[in-house]
Amino acid sequence: MNLSVQLAPQNKHGLQLRNPVMVASGTFGYGMEYVGIFDIQRLGAIVCKGTTLKPRQGNPQPRLVEVEAGLLNSIGLENIGINALVKDMTPVWAQWQVPVVVNIAGESIGEYAEIARILAGKKGIAGIEVNISCPNVDSGGMEFGVDAITAAEVTRAVRQSTGLPVIVKLSPNVTDIVKIAAAVAEAGADALCLINTLRGMAIDIKRRRPVLGNVRGGLSGPAVKPVALYMTYQVAHAVKIPVIGCGGISSGQDALEFIMAGATAVQVGTATFRNPCAALNILEEIEQFMEDEGIRDINALVGVAHRQSNPSGSQ
Amino acid sequence: MFDKIQHLTPIISHEEILPSIYLLLVEAPQITSIAKPGQFVMLSCSERILRRPLSIHRVDKKGNLSLLYSVIGKGTEWLSQKKKGEQLDILGPLGNAFFLQSQAKNLLLVAGRVGIAPLLFLADVALERGNSVTLMLGATTASQLYPENLLPGKITFLTYTEDGSPANTTIATQKGRVTDYVALYAPSSDQIFSCGPTGMYQSLKNSLESVKYKKSVQVSLEVRMGCGLGSCYGCSISTDKGMKKVCQDGPVFELSSIRPGEIKI
Ligand SMILES: Cc1cc2nc3c(=O)[nH]c(=O)nc-3n(C[C@H](O)[C@H](O)[C@H](O)COP(=O)(O)OP(=O)(O)OC[C@H]3O[C@@H](n4cnc5c(N)ncnc54)[C@H](O)[C@@H]3O)c2cc1C
Ligand SMILES: Cc1cc2nc3c(=O)[nH]c(=O)nc-3n(C[C@H](O)[C@H](O)[C@H](O)COP(=O)(O)O)c2cc1C
Repeated sequence: MNLSVQLAPQNKHGLQLRNPVMVASGTFGYGMEYVGIFDIQRLGAIVCKGTTLKPRQGNPQPRLVEVEAGLLNSIGLENIGINALVKDMTPVWAQWQVPVVVNIAGESIGEYAEIARILAGKKGIAGIEVNISCPNVDSGGMEFGVDAITAAEVTRAVRQSTGLPVIVKLSPNVTDIVKIAAAVAEAGADALCLINTLRGMAIDIKRRRPVLGNVRGGLSGPAVKPVALYMTYQVAHAVKIPVIGCGGISSGQDALEFIMAGATAVQVGTATFRNPCAALNILEEIEQFMEDEGIRDINALVGVAHRQSNPSGSQ
Repeated sequence: MFDKIQHLTPIISHEEILPSIYLLLVEAPQITSIAKPGQFVMLSCSERILRRPLSIHRVDKKGNLSLLYSVIGKGTEWLSQKKKGEQLDILGPLGNAFFLQSQAKNLLLVAGRVGIAPLLFLADVALERGNSVTLMLGATTASQLYPENLLPGKITFLTYTEDGSPANTTIATQKGRVTDYVALYAPSSDQIFSCGPTGMYQSLKNSLESVKYKKSVQVSLEVRMGCGLGSCYGCSISTDKGMKKVCQDGPVFELSSIRPGEIKI
């Protein structure tokens, strides 16, 4: 049975995974946190916590609140900063079999490029995932990811700063994700990942105020799955580069839905909180499905749902 | 090789020992064999997205682990319905631990209500190594006080109720908050350990400052947690030494290094 997938076919290094199940940024730390729990080397890839040029303290507490079938978080990108990551994490990653992708975030286009340059040539890094759901300080705080032109500019800046595979992670908080996906692909991304969290909030009616210290947060978990799935379906149809599906994936069935919608790989996020081994269980369930259905190569399932569907595109 | 265990553990006994406060015993030898006082476990509660953190209350030589919890919301409500023989999905042991200095002899434990949970494991370990242990326990009213007959024999048990109601204890209950009386016992203790609501730690800090207590005071913090493993940064707090994750760098902190007034849950 072949489970391996290629996420950066156009890149000279490539980004070959042993299997399509990755763990999502911000939900798996730097990977070390799980070494004591299960054999993380069996994962397809690990995407580390979003990392910025300088260390960040993040948002005020509370930063997490459970909502119906989901989770709201407003961590605010607390992280150790890129230099500490290079010094303390990459030497460990270099010893691992599992590829580690570094998720990066910047406040300006220059900052994204600078982080990418710092990572260039470092051992232990298999690729860069660019989080464009961050406020652009140069343009009054609007997120890079909500505008096709800025999203493409960020992509180009990172592309020019590194030879490593570049994954661009899209925000769902946009009017037309297909347009942004196309612009980012055109600007040189090797692959796309979608989706990041959806904006939301919760109010404590006894205290009569927002639950989260930062008022708004990002929604993740099963609640976002249908949204993420349809976006994956649309985008995978529209671009030629590999797409990584993410959003609410908690079972092998969920993962297979994304794969059939056109995702070459999937990322598991929030599900890891309830079950630290969720990604591994999902991998086993995919294997079981393939065995039951007599499928020899996972790539044969990528996007199959498109062939079965009505092409009119209407609802 | 794996130092954190996730597994299904059968419930040995489960009892409401005080109003809305449950004592739960599960068989978890893999966890008890490596657990240290102050550490906690994360419990999966039905289909809830997040596990719930609970301190390890005690462990025994047979590999049983006990938890003491109050019913607060959906997760603990679900838990309270679980019966003997059913299985619970537990992850642990997690977090750092209380640090017992090798030369310390007289220990003072200060608990607010269910905050006694992690302190009894510590008391068991300390008594075993020959320390003298005084436990001060406070609650709003006497019916909320942990039963004396469940305590280890050699402990000195002092109780405090805000309404002055007396508990059926060897030493008479005093009226007031436990932190109002800490200054009486602090000077003769080598180390202080505390667990209770965050608000209690500010009062504890003030009381100890009034007697210029300079030795180690360790407290266990309760904040909202995501992963329990240090990966999600959901429970970070700001300390003297920068941002710290309660689940991984804690839950035990030196009282002097935290700002209890700023911790929100
Ligand atoms: C390290 C640690 C050890 C703990 N040990 C104990 C213990 O031994 N006994 C005990 O009774 N309680 C303990 N708590 C508090 C306990 O975790 C909460 O009371 C419990 O999570 C409430 O869950 P719920 O679903 O019933 O409440 P809900 O209000 O439905 O919970 C919603 C969310 O808020 C969080 N939350 C709510 N109240 C608290 C709180 N006071 N502290 C932290 N998170 C909270 C929950 O974890 C959950 O994510 C501990 C907390 C921590 C961080
Ligand atoms: C606590 C938390 C922290 C996150 N941090 C990041 C981050 O630093 N960078 C990023 O690109 N995405 C981050 N995400 C988004 C996830 O990687 C993922 O895109 C999203 O949660 C949807 O997937 P899920 O429903 O499987 O969690 C975070 C999500 C959560 C819940």
